[in-house]
Amino acid sequence: MATIQARGLTKRFGGEVLAVDHLDFDAVPGGVTGFLGPNGAGKTTTLRMLLGLVTPTSGSVLIDGHRYRDLPNPTMRVGAVLEASGFHPARTARNHLKLTATVAGLPFRRVDECLDLVGLSEAADRSVGGFSMGMRQRLELARAMLGKPDVLVLDEPANGLDPQGIAWLRDFLRVYASEGASDRGGKRIVIVSSHLLSEAQLIVDDVIVLTGGRLAAQGRLQDLLAGSKRSVRVQTPDAERLVQALRAASLPAVVRDGYVVCDGATPQAVGPIMVENRIEVHEMVSSTESLESLFFALTGGEGMQVGHGVASTGDYRRFDDGPAASPSVGPIGGQA
Amino acid sequence: MTRLLGAEIRKLWTIWSTYVLFGIVVVIDLAFGFGLALAPGGRHGGSAGVVPHGSSQWFINVFSVLDVSRILALVLGAIIITGEYRHKTVTPTFLAEPRRGRVVTAKLGISFGSGVVLGALTMVTGLVLGFVLVAMKVHSCLTPLGVSQGMSQALCGVRHGVYYVATTHNMWHDWSRIAPGVVLGTGLFAIYGLGLGALLKNQIVAIVVGLVFTLVVEAIVGAIWPTIGEYLPGQAATALEDAARTNFGGTTQLLPWWGGACMLLIYGIALAFLGTFTTLRSDVT
Ligand SMILES: Nc1ncnc2c1ncn2[C@@H]1O[C@H](COP(=O)(O)OP(=O)(O)OP(=O)(O)O)[C@@H](O)[C@H]1O
Ligand SMILES: [Mg+2]
Repeated sequence: MATIQARGLTKRFGGEVLAVDHLDFDAVPGGVTGFLGPNGAGKTTTLRMLLGLVTPTSGSVLIDGHRYRDLPNPTMRVGAVLEASGFHPARTARNHLKLTATVAGLPFRRVDECLDLVGLSEAADRSVGGFSMGMRQRLELARAMLGKPDVLVLDEPANGLDPQGIAWLRDFLRVYASEGASDRGGKRIVIVSSHLLSEAQLIVDDVIVLTGGRLAAQGRLQDLLAGSKRSVRVQTPDAERLVQALRAASLPAVVRDGYVVCDGATPQAVGPIMVENRIEVHEMVSSTESLESLFFALTGGEGMQVGHGVASTGDYRRFDDGPAASPSVGPIGGQA
Repeated sequence: MTRLLGAEIRKLWTIWSTYVLFGIVVVIDLAFGFGLALAPGGRHGGSAGVVPHGSSQWFINVFSVLDVSRILALVLGAIIITGEYRHKTVTPTFLAEPRRGRVVTAKLGISFGSGVVLGALTMVTGLVLGFVLVAMKVHSCLTPLGVSQGMSQALCGVRHGVYYVATTHNMWHDWSRIAPGVVLGTGLFAIYGLGLGALLKNQIVAIVVGLVFTLVVEAIVGAIWPTIGEYLPGQAATALEDAARTNFGGTTQLLPWWGGACMLLIYGIALAFLGTFTTLRSDVT
């Protein structure tokens, strides 16, 4: 059973940028761990330290107690899909994978299997220079999967994938994480960094939230969300009666926009009351706080500031500009 | 290590730029060889004056220009490592083999190997060049005389046959004197190029520095301080060629051939070692 442990992990670039600051976290097998945080939070840097590509300034991040570079044949243990990984544009997809397969001592049959897995069989003998972003992302995933690793690390894997690709990736990661690594009798670790919170919410079991290089929260997503606000909303022709019944059970119900809304309640609490009072129900929606609002609560104020909306004149402003005094042009225009 | 070497070879033959580079070598060899052989006024005789076509000295002069290929071996060596940074393929390379020293060692081996192949290609081109030059001469001898005069034509045939045999004999002899030095020189120069690439990391910078140093700086240093010059990579490579000693009046001061080989190996390995401990140890982001 694989484990990943970071202890006091710190990375300072060029003496001034503190990208990762005394980070402690554990990634556990059997589920998908979401690695979340705003731009520049240090996600990529942390994952690259895990993979031995960036050397920590201090602290360590270990896979089963070993540094990545001490793993004898890391392709067989750890698979990685990284943002800025490269391809020689003139090399074909198949040859690109054969390089890693050769170093890892894998048969080339495995290359074909992985190309097939990510749906690139047709394009296998085309040079990567002509690949779309999503195709490159798939090729990276194929490379990561060559050794059937029991640790899979993905940095923004959904980048460039089409909706089918994203849905496929979601199912793939869920299944892969829950499957046992047959030869090791344990479950796998899958770590995914993502900005797509609604997407992440569908697949992650655990989350590690970073802001400004520090740990903002870590734990099971369910637990983190459980502590947050929830409410139940009911559509019924008997709104008045329901509100009275709920208040009688000391639940704070109100009528809002034609719905009965009961903050802090669960469907388990509201349902029996409706049955008891024989109230006709047309719709009942239970909402918990979303990962998105949790994310904003955890990371709020930190990271890069986002401008407050678009000026009414339709001008765009820089992310980090204050309120626009005069019309200005966004980051690319450079007319400011 | 065998696997790493296998992957490095595959890296070379799965991109067309390798073939282009080898093609350029052939073209340059042919251009220099023919240019020198056909230059008017027998300028290729150097201080020895005009050398007769087909003589041993003449072939040495023609073949010894083939060592220009080592410049391209330097470029090849530099590309082998800087190409990984340029196309960001270092990430998958170091993911598959995180012990970076081993990757550089494999690349050293492959650089030497491909430099040797490049040198061998050069010398094969040289052989073709030699045959073409001999055939051209024989042909030009034949034509003016060969106007249906039975007896003299036969005589001419015999004369040119003898000429052909004599000159090809010279050619083989000189070719085999020059070939080992050129082949070893290109092999070692590729290692030197790899070392430069490992240290400088940027492809354009590594190639430009390598070329400028070899073609300009070395020439200047060699002219002003010959004792220092003989230890520089270009002169060290020239020292590998036994023929160079007898060529062009032997104006330059050179190390013994094994000394040249050692110097080149030291340059390549020292630079690669330095590169491994500076550039290559740095973060891949
Ligand atoms: N090679 C580098 N040199 C200097 N600073 C760097 C380098 N790489 C990253 N940084 C800095 O480290 C910080 C963390 O960057 P990192 O790429 O890890 O963030 P991230 O969480 O992956 O962001 P994003 O969501 O945009 O991908 C940023 O401030 C970044 O500017
Ligand atoms: Mg990132």
